[in-house]
Amino acid sequence: MEKEYSISLLSKKTLAKENVMMTFQCQEIAKRAMPGQFVNISCDHFLKRPFGICEVDSINGTFSIGVRVVGDGTREITLAEIGDVFDVLGPLGNGFSFEGVKKIIAVGGGTGIYPLYFVLAYAKRLGIPVTCINGFRSREDAFLTEECKKLATRALFSTDSGDYGIKGNVMDALAQLSEDELSEATVFVVGPEIMMKKVSVWAMERSLSCKVSQERKMACGIGICLVCICKVKARDESAEFHHVRCCKEGPVMDAKEVIW
Amino acid sequence: MVDLSVRIGDLTLKNPITLASGTCGFGRELASYVDFANIGGICSKGLTLLPREGNPGCRVAETPSGMLNSVGLQNPGIQAFLEDELPFMQTLGTSIIANVAGHSTDDYIEMVTRLGGDEVEIDAIELNLSCPNVKEGCMTIGASEKAIFDLVSILRKRTKKPLWVKLTPNVTSISQMALAAESAGADSVVLINTLLGMAIDIKTRRPILRNNTGGLSGPAIKPIALRMISECYQVISIPIIGVGGIMTASDVVEYMLAGATAVEVGTASLLHPGICEKLVDDLKTYAEANAISDIKDLTGELKLWE
Repeated sequence: MEKEYSISLLSKKTLAKENVMMTFQCQEIAKRAMPGQFVNISCDHFLKRPFGICEVDSINGTFSIGVRVVGDGTREITLAEIGDVFDVLGPLGNGFSFEGVKKIIAVGGGTGIYPLYFVLAYAKRLGIPVTCINGFRSREDAFLTEECKKLATRALFSTDSGDYGIKGNVMDALAQLSEDELSEATVFVVGPEIMMKKVSVWAMERSLSCKVSQERKMACGIGICLVCICKVKARDESAEFHHVRCCKEGPVMDAKEVIW
Repeated sequence: MVDLSVRIGDLTLKNPITLASGTCGFGRELASYVDFANIGGICSKGLTLLPREGNPGCRVAETPSGMLNSVGLQNPGIQAFLEDELPFMQTLGTSIIANVAGHSTDDYIEMVTRLGGDEVEIDAIELNLSCPNVKEGCMTIGASEKAIFDLVSILRKRTKKPLWVKLTPNVTSISQMALAAESAGADSVVLINTLLGMAIDIKTRRPILRNNTGGLSGPAIKPIALRMISECYQVISIPIIGVGGIMTASDVVEYMLAGATAVEVGTASLLHPGICEKLVDDLKTYAEANAISDIKDLTGELKLWE
């Protein structure tokens, strides 16, 4: 049986402007979480808020999420104090599959970097090489860069401002990869929709398998309310498209299924 | 021992806590959080004749003490319900109520005919005359006494199964609507569906919902539902099923005092998937603590001020 956990905040750490990594104690979630899955966490507002799982420590039974302040709910969560108790559901959703994956190009932007950080750690354990490409607005907004360098086979960073890494966006960074690095790679991309769309087109042009992780406003997080839908291609001619649940069929989906 | 069972016409529910349509799918997802055998019943997602993909997103907006949704009856259609979902629901060990939402009288007739035969193992049909998120049928029927009476009268002849009529609060006089349902032969009225509302994003100067408007649910609507139930209880004789923002066992008691025989729990399951079982336990504890041996005794016990 699944349950709603009542768990306490163990630690928090500011990573960059309005980005806080928060660690919670929960053996059950830590034990089962897969990269790309998320947790739905209570705040003082009516609905819970979903966050991609960023790191797990199954020995100590902890997991971490990265929270970027985007509204009142996320702000409240980042202002929580150590020991504060949250109602949490998780791990939820469909994560990334590593079956048959020979190497990974992990492309992240914004809060998408958090779940990809879990991908990096997980892939390292499986011995799958990862080229990590993360895009930021500027050096001031960058986070987890040293940590990603340690886990990835190769890590490239881009900033719009050009004050850190490659000037430009993740597409400019992808352009620097060698044919050898691209060959037989699976692309995992998590970030703003426009970025995921561009990267998935880029991947498809090179016949690379590409998985994206969608983000939607959610309510239940477990597939019962149908508010977090994503538009995907029809399975047959009886329909023009389908609406699937981001929280259940997603958030990770095959890019070739997605209607942007 | 507390008797928690309640009767809605000829149907006995093992307790008054049921799950509201649209907040529990067909029970599959909640089955890993809830032992359905411990709850009174489950109302299916609103079914239409053909599969529907529903409205485009964004479909949700958080509001004070509640939320707006504009799902728009996304569902696999009645055929898939009968073939794929109902067999699963029959394994849950609880009463099954099929919620149907038509675009037209013909839709309702066909669905009630297909669901209403003796061979279909459902315990009741809930007529959704109240979804605010579709352009045709539903709420446009539920907003007219005559349309309610005409439709329910036709459907009454098509099935012997209990007919529950889920009404919309978006009307001037809810008791007139309830009376229309009763006189047309409904076994119960379900009060209330969501209230039509809007949420606005001041940055984009657009409604948050892509459908512009949506249905408001959650504790924000509980006082309205209680008032409507109390009003209807004074004029109709058929059982009332109360819905709207129930979060605690004391909410259930309030609903029953106002005149409800049973309740449907909706939005609360979206926040806490296991909540309905807790409500049953807490209701039992409440009854024991207050020397109530039969929960049915609570219904309509509200004493209005003169």
